[in-house]
Amino acid sequence: MDFDWAFFVERIVNPGAPYINALGRTVSMAVLAMFLGLLIGLVVGFGRLSRFGLIRSACGFYVWLIRGIPVLVLLVMLFSGMAAAGLFRFTDLEFAGLKLTASFQAAVIGLAIHEGAYMAEIVRNGIQSVARGQIEAARSLGMNPWLVTWRIVIPQATRVVMPPFGNDFNHMLKTTSLASVIGVPEIFQLTEAMSATTFKTFELLTVVALNYLVLTAIWNTIQGVIETRLRAHEIDRPVRSWWQSLVVYLTPSTNSSERRS
Amino acid sequence: MRTENSQLLVRAIDVRKRFGETEVLCGVNLDVHRGEVLCIIGPSGSGKSTFLRCINQLEIYQEGKIFVNDELIGYKEAGGRLVPIGSRQVVLQRRRIGMVFQQFNLFWHMTVLENIIEAPIRVLGQSVAQARENAMRLLERVGLAAKADAYPMKLSGGQQQRAAIARALAMNPELMLFDEPTSALDPETTGEVLSVISELASTGMTMIIVTHEMGFARQVANRVVLMEEGQIRHEAPPDQFFGNQAPARLKAFLSTIH
Repeated sequence: MDFDWAFFVERIVNPGAPYINALGRTVSMAVLAMFLGLLIGLVVGFGRLSRFGLIRSACGFYVWLIRGIPVLVLLVMLFSGMAAAGLFRFTDLEFAGLKLTASFQAAVIGLAIHEGAYMAEIVRNGIQSVARGQIEAARSLGMNPWLVTWRIVIPQATRVVMPPFGNDFNHMLKTTSLASVIGVPEIFQLTEAMSATTFKTFELLTVVALNYLVLTAIWNTIQGVIETRLRAHEIDRPVRSWWQSLVVYLTPSTNSSERRS
Repeated sequence: MRTENSQLLVRAIDVRKRFGETEVLCGVNLDVHRGEVLCIIGPSGSGKSTFLRCINQLEIYQEGKIFVNDELIGYKEAGGRLVPIGSRQVVLQRRRIGMVFQQFNLFWHMTVLENIIEAPIRVLGQSVAQARENAMRLLERVGLAAKADAYPMKLSGGQQQRAAIARALAMNPELMLFDEPTSALDPETTGEVLSVISELASTGMTMIIVTHEMGFARQVANRVVLMEEGQIRHEAPPDQFFGNQAPARLKAFLSTIH
């Protein structure tokens, strides 16, 4: 095998400004799409449990439709398909001195629509996991429906929602690579462009794969700390701050109640 | 719509409730006076819990009337008909009715103290300091001051139920409803919960207690009622209720559980 180690190391040690920018685009696309996807998921997830039949069916239809479309098809449809049909064309925007290109906007929106459908199911499951008795106890204390939702249902559902949410975000970090197809200069697109000029295809793909691995590894730790905090009530050691949560996460106990998750 | 007698705290008139085809409350008539401790006993499925839950509007009764403190529960008169009240009124009517559940239902994501101060702060608008002070006093009273910062999962069933009682009391209720408060407990921890309820009874709190603990009912109640098939079949002060002159059907029921 012919592997150019010097080139490989150089790419890692000195990636250069364009690559760092591309990395920034990858991460910001993932974070923005996940945030918007969460908002969609909250609305649609609660909507699927609405007492109004029309809202229930509309939200059910959204989930049914979007989960049946490949993300890649959705992205190209939003960016090229809609423009070709003359329905909608994304244009570059200046936003607080930040340039948002048309393809970047289309990618974030497409990924968010996709994520929203999956998140809706996660949110619905989280809400349904809250025990009836918890809600009755809150009502019996004179809490209004809004307080019951905000103070009891959402915090308790969050405990259940967090692991699959983390799973989806992990997935999202890598799914952003599909945005290369509609011309977003993120790390995979840059990798492909470089390999076309240098022919160091294998080295460059290894670098980008490692890059995604680092991103998911960082997220893994963040997710673990958040989940530890959400399991504070199950853990013998006090978990009242993010710092304590990090310590407990990094120093797992032999106590079975702490390991259960 | 007001009843005349101010000594009455709860008045139920011909209350009926159906779940689909099955009628679970078939005309319940009951008065509870201020300061009274009423125990409801009866076989399972007789509607005891459903009746209690109707008072607190966790269930909606369909016919009849329930008054608490002279206020009609769950309905209002509009154009000569009774129509259900809005959720805002429901919330207001619940505020001064405390409820203790068989399964405790402490909020598991909050510590014992947080459980107790939650509603006083968010619903009654008490300051955090005031709510904490009150909560610590109540925890002292139920013997759980040392567990204020523990999460419910770390407590025994008896401790959880005592914390749940403190949580209900923190809302300063004028009526307390207990739905089989010791049915989910070990025999060893049942006693500690019953003694907290007895202590509360001695302070003059009006209470309706659904229970299977006959010895406890006898000791703490001013009046005991037997519910069967969605109706109140017998009511008497405890010494008569459990005495020799009790009617045959009651004796038959009591013999099944002793």
